[in-house]
Amino acid sequence: MNINFPPLVALLLFPGGAFLLFSGLVFEYIDRKLVARFQNRYGPRWFQPLADVVKLLAKEEIIPTGVVKSLFVALPVIALTAALTSALYVPLFGFKPVFSFQGDLIVTLYLLSMMTLCIGLAGANTEDRFSLIGATRALTQLFSYEAPFLLALLGPAIALHTWNIGEINAGAGNGLWFIIAQPIGFVVALVGLMGKLELPPFDAPEAETEIVAGAFTEYSGRGFAIFKIGRDVELVIGLTLVASFYLGGFNSPLDFLWKTLLLLFVTAALQSMFARLRIDQTVGMWWRVGVLMVLLQLVVIIIGQQFAPVVQPALQSLFGG
Amino acid sequence: MENMMQGVMNKVKTWARINSPWAIHYNSGSCNGCDIEILATLTPRFDVERFGIKLQGSPRHADVLICTGPVTLQSRDRLVRIYNQMPEPKFVVAVGSCGISGGVFQGCYNVVGDISEVIPVNVYIPGCPPRPEAIIHGVVELLKSLQP
Repeated sequence: MNINFPPLVALLLFPGGAFLLFSGLVFEYIDRKLVARFQNRYGPRWFQPLADVVKLLAKEEIIPTGVVKSLFVALPVIALTAALTSALYVPLFGFKPVFSFQGDLIVTLYLLSMMTLCIGLAGANTEDRFSLIGATRALTQLFSYEAPFLLALLGPAIALHTWNIGEINAGAGNGLWFIIAQPIGFVVALVGLMGKLELPPFDAPEAETEIVAGAFTEYSGRGFAIFKIGRDVELVIGLTLVASFYLGGFNSPLDFLWKTLLLLFVTAALQSMFARLRIDQTVGMWWRVGVLMVLLQLVVIIIGQQFAPVVQPALQSLFGG
Repeated sequence: MENMMQGVMNKVKTWARINSPWAIHYNSGSCNGCDIEILATLTPRFDVERFGIKLQGSPRHADVLICTGPVTLQSRDRLVRIYNQMPEPKFVVAVGSCGISGGVFQGCYNVVGDISEVIPVNVYIPGCPPRPEAIIHGVVELLKSLQP
């Protein structure tokens, strides 16, 4: 759908801003409910994420001794800001991206990484040993999934000769969907997204049973709530990116809904199927398996593109196409 | 006008508090019987996420301190420290007979006494150990008491 929103409206109200915050909460609820159903229990009520966030915002915020106070207060805000800014470049809810230029794919991916960077800094800022270990693990994990995730999203970009998210979204619907044309890329992108959001098989950075709450250990009240909202916003944007690249793009809000919810269903199933990986297993898996598979995929795409002009006329003359 | 806004804000805050109690669990010297029952309460069979109850690792994230057992001399300082680390508003639930009166450990050379001698307690759940249903009932009673 090609409706042009004024930038300020898009940033504050719809499709970014307030509406995005609430859809983030809705997506978190669906995720938690699905995981609960997979574990054979009823799960939370529909307003649960909203109640959690309001309660955290109303709670006392303790600023522990030994932290740089300004950094402690600013980091959650920066993380949320980066996540909300990246919403301007993706086709949220099936509408055309508000801003777009050649190469906004790279900018969006960097904006999405800001969250993890802020979590790492937040953990390193406090004196608590648990948050320090959590921060180290978060940053280690960042280095392991970031390269394969980027390479996996580059597959469709190279195939369509454009690094513009809007154009990729428009072009992905023509012809074969990329989930069939580039299945390896899809798997790596989806699992990479789960690593990015620190969802269960990759939740070593905030492993409750070992390191309390990871980098968030010292955060209470407002800061923790803002980090939580930022994570939800990133969930929506990440799902939007992967779905628009690999599931044939969006033309309408309805398209957006069923494609992202399908992906959310798959991620929830993966979350409840696998146990937590150790941090060395995570790194090993990404660099030994993930990167190699995606590189293989990229080589195949590039070779295919180089030889397509040569092979296609020959095939057409053979089969009379 | 300002009073009305304040009233609405307070209502929203109370609603959120009642619907999202995050808990932390501390054993201040119990025989482990109550702790087994608390862990059973948190399993999918009883599914306390229905009420929004979630077990948190960090005291900084928790609203409700679920505490078991008599307070021993060793754990008194830790219990007080954990209580002080929790952000306001915070509530304490004492689980089991020992938490209420010291139980069979009352008068031991290494026991300070029951939990209310060290930190303020909001709800007592009797039993040795109380069943998971009783623990859920106790937490729901606590949430009811928050309603103005």
